[in-house]
Amino acid sequence: MKQTRREFLKANVAAATAATVGIPLTQAQAGAADVEKDWQWDKGVCRFCGTGCGIMVATKDGKIVATKGDPDAPVNRGLNCIKGYFNAKIMYGKDRLTQPLLRMKDGKFDKKGKFQPVSWERAFDEMEKHCKAALKELGPTGVAIFGSGQYTIHEGYAAAKFMKAGLRSNNIDPNARHCMASAVAAFIQTFGIDEPAGNYDDIEHTDTAVLWGANMTEMHPILWARIANRRLTHDKMRIINLTTLKNMPSELADMTIVFKPSTDLAIQNYIAREIIKRDVVDHDFVKKHCVFATGPYDIGYGMRSTDTKGFPEEKDILAKQKRVKLDKYEAIAQRRKEGEVVEQKNAKSAGKHWMISFEDFKKGVEPYTLDFVAELAKGDVDESLDDFKKKLKALADYYCDQNRKIVSYWTMGFNQHQRGTWVNEQCYMNHLLLGKQCKPGNGAFSLTGQPSACGTAREVGTFAHRLPADMVVFKKKHRDLAEKIWKLPAKTVNPKVGSHIVKIMRDLEDGKIKFAWVQVNNPFQATPNANHWIKAAREMDNFIVCADGYPGISAKVADLILPAAMIFEKWGAYGNAERRTQAWRQQVAPPGQAMGDTWHILEFSKRFKLKDVWGEQKVPGLKAEGFEDGKLPSVLDEAKKMGYDPEQTLYEVLFATPENKKKYPWPAPKELTKGHPNHIAEALGDGWFPEHALWEEYATFGRGHAHDLDKFERYYDDDVRGLRWPVVNGKETLWRFNAKYDPYVKNGDFEFYGPALKALPSGDLDKITKKEKTKLPGKAKIFFRPYAAPVEQPDNNYPFWLVTGRVLEHWHSGTMTRRVPELNRAVPEALVFMHPEDAKRIGVNRHDVVEVASRRGKVKVRVETQGRNHPSKGVIFVPWFDESVFINKVTLDATCPISKQSDFKKCAVRITKV
Amino acid sequence: MNLSGIVVAAFPGKVDACVERLNALPGVEVHNVDHDKNRIVVVQEAETIADEVEGLKAIKALPDVTFAEMVYHYFAEDEQFVQEIPEDLDAMTGLPQQQACVPEYLQD
Repeated sequence: MKQTRREFLKANVAAATAATVGIPLTQAQAGAADVEKDWQWDKGVCRFCGTGCGIMVATKDGKIVATKGDPDAPVNRGLNCIKGYFNAKIMYGKDRLTQPLLRMKDGKFDKKGKFQPVSWERAFDEMEKHCKAALKELGPTGVAIFGSGQYTIHEGYAAAKFMKAGLRSNNIDPNARHCMASAVAAFIQTFGIDEPAGNYDDIEHTDTAVLWGANMTEMHPILWARIANRRLTHDKMRIINLTTLKNMPSELADMTIVFKPSTDLAIQNYIAREIIKRDVVDHDFVKKHCVFATGPYDIGYGMRSTDTKGFPEEKDILAKQKRVKLDKYEAIAQRRKEGEVVEQKNAKSAGKHWMISFEDFKKGVEPYTLDFVAELAKGDVDESLDDFKKKLKALADYYCDQNRKIVSYWTMGFNQHQRGTWVNEQCYMNHLLLGKQCKPGNGAFSLTGQPSACGTAREVGTFAHRLPADMVVFKKKHRDLAEKIWKLPAKTVNPKVGSHIVKIMRDLEDGKIKFAWVQVNNPFQATPNANHWIKAAREMDNFIVCADGYPGISAKVADLILPAAMIFEKWGAYGNAERRTQAWRQQVAPPGQAMGDTWHILEFSKRFKLKDVWGEQKVPGLKAEGFEDGKLPSVLDEAKKMGYDPEQTLYEVLFATPENKKKYPWPAPKELTKGHPNHIAEALGDGWFPEHALWEEYATFGRGHAHDLDKFERYYDDDVRGLRWPVVNGKETLWRFNAKYDPYVKNGDFEFYGPALKALPSGDLDKITKKEKTKLPGKAKIFFRPYAAPVEQPDNNYPFWLVTGRVLEHWHSGTMTRRVPELNRAVPEALVFMHPEDAKRIGVNRHDVVEVASRRGKVKVRVETQGRNHPSKGVIFVPWFDESVFINKVTLDATCPISKQSDFKKCAVRITKV
Repeated sequence: MNLSGIVVAAFPGKVDACVERLNALPGVEVHNVDHDKNRIVVVQEAETIADEVEGLKAIKALPDVTFAEMVYHYFAEDEQFVQEIPEDLDAMTGLPQQQACVPEYLQD
């Protein structure tokens, strides 16, 4: 009997698998009865990376019984990687947080106390007390939210509105700052609008995939499967892997180029020089649609300088924030003299730029000859210079071939880079020069690491400087529009940019922020140079709240832990890397007292009356037209005129408005809910559907501004598998800026219509010569950016490069995946990958424990000399998922000075046997 | 019992060789073969999900396999797994059980 049942189930699994990926069924399978008949299937989206795979979820009696890749999802066409497979399982780990926990001693909150369960009421009482105390002492800049690229769109929008419209604080910044801020800055500077022109369909149109610091095999396996498929079915297809260490994509790649950290800047300029030298510039495209630009080089490294709280050992590196002595290669690359000391005068104006001529641009790339770049960039000491040169030349050949389509892909290799914005811009530089951009199969495509880095962090704008739809707090026009949509009195929104995520940490250390709330991320593990921040959280006078599904380091250093609902326990929507917005319904109830983050925010907003937050507020350093220095004015009188009562709460004014309650009722129509519950609407119990209301309000920001989203209900239609914005008249947009596909193109065949930074002064390679600004409507910018050496490099004391990153089985800090015991066994602890000869030289064997130390901190870790990563001599790789190998104690908190994104990919360490 | 449906892509011309290698792996059965698309559907049975992940890795490591990814997962094992979670998570807010709800990890 059992045997029969097993065979029956297997036949069913095979049939379902074959059907999902479009393989013909056998006769027996076609005739097999369906074991799934009493299951309810519904569409969902994977919780993990930025690919945005569709998964189908089956529930029975309130539990998830099966998941499968969604055959109708255009992204993954039925496939799922290992992580996708665990979507349903991550909710059921043993350490799942199920009730609020507060540090207590003798029944009272005590920062040195032990965690004890408390009621939600008690938890919010304590939060309210500390948040209001911080606001009173320090004003709106005294509080902060660590936001997330894993927020659902609704959560991010609720959090941003609560902070920016309610508390009038811009101190909300997502972990996505660590992940793709450099991509954003480059999009805005180059195109005037964020996010890629192309989409994943480029894979099936292209002849060449170039990976620049993107280990797609492990990090984006489903896109990699599509690339592999293209390689096998299209004869012309080639794959090139550019990396600082040989890794898994190299197994399928036609060519692997191992380069030294930061020399990608030089390699790109070599390609540009070749494009010009071989005269394969698409002159027509460039003339019609582009201008040339550059900016200052003396922009520092986004570090604190020496006069702050650095440890004694790190002061030599921190000093470089103020002045830098150029090395031999920088001198050539920047047309200066070796040994010249350059004051970093533009550290605070790193993003400024001006137009230059094509002639000047040519001068800029002239030093990047094959000889120069090969000598500088070769990353494997065992490779001959001639072999390396041949590879660079072949790479240039691929780009320059006018009969070859080419897509460049990157993730953290470019983004987590002290010149991350520059290196992103250089990628557009080459694609624009060649006219290989915004066309099917041709383009530079920024991949993302988090499921809604695009959909929430970027599009909603949960950044310290942003508002929804690419707007920014420092522009009056944008604040006015936000105040209009949010129905706020004029001058409610704070014009001063808040603290980015690393600066929130620094502000905690400096006592400038005393209340911080962690939402859907793990910043105390994820931020580099972590020893500083852990100490700040535990020893300074502040109150840290951490909302999470499972406890990680951030929960551990917190004062209050809020149990959060996870993926299919709530209604949600994510936006993936190709602008595709996808939504799902609540499938199962959260365990215990866990609740969705949206509920946390809405409930907490009930604790603030208008009179608490909309009176005059001090904001140190605020300087803006129409505002008194250092102050936000009281807007209470204006609020009264608008019909608000100062006794009303932020919940009533910002969220549960009479309009929302009327237009978006809960329970919602059956056609939309299909009988699925909503634990947040039900817990609020006042008859409205928060996710629906938040969606429609948020969407008004983008509609008509090239960020159009469709109606909430459309994303839940059975035949919709997400839609790529802008969605105009119900139709998604495949290739932006291209008249054939993009309804926003009004003039000509291509139009880079993004509105930001489209008026520039002019100058030469070194300076502005004409201050008067020229308007550049519809143009993209081709930037010249030079090579700059990493601020910290190996020396006698710290002779190795440390590169950090992820591994397939774990994702980010591991607070979700590490609780799944099966995944833990697959990669039980983080390893340090190193070259066997390096291991021999320092006298250690495979699996020995070593100490990896930098100027900032140290960890113990086990040695691996085989396996999937093969660093060259002098380079080591440590993944960062494992909190017991807390590698961010070692990493350097230098950031790209333009994007403020931290660089996890390069610092100097020493290794000693333990 | 834990069952998963896996799609395997083989290098062109190597489908039959892959089928043979796949059938030789413990717990793996080939169910469908599509020579046109170079795709093979296998069902893997494993005692635990850990064995299942290891099994998938073994498939990925076979010669001539370009990729192998899971498509379908039947959560037979999870019924047992879910049962290991206390039924009454809500009841755990009661005093006597409170400490059990604070992961030990948080307290050191």
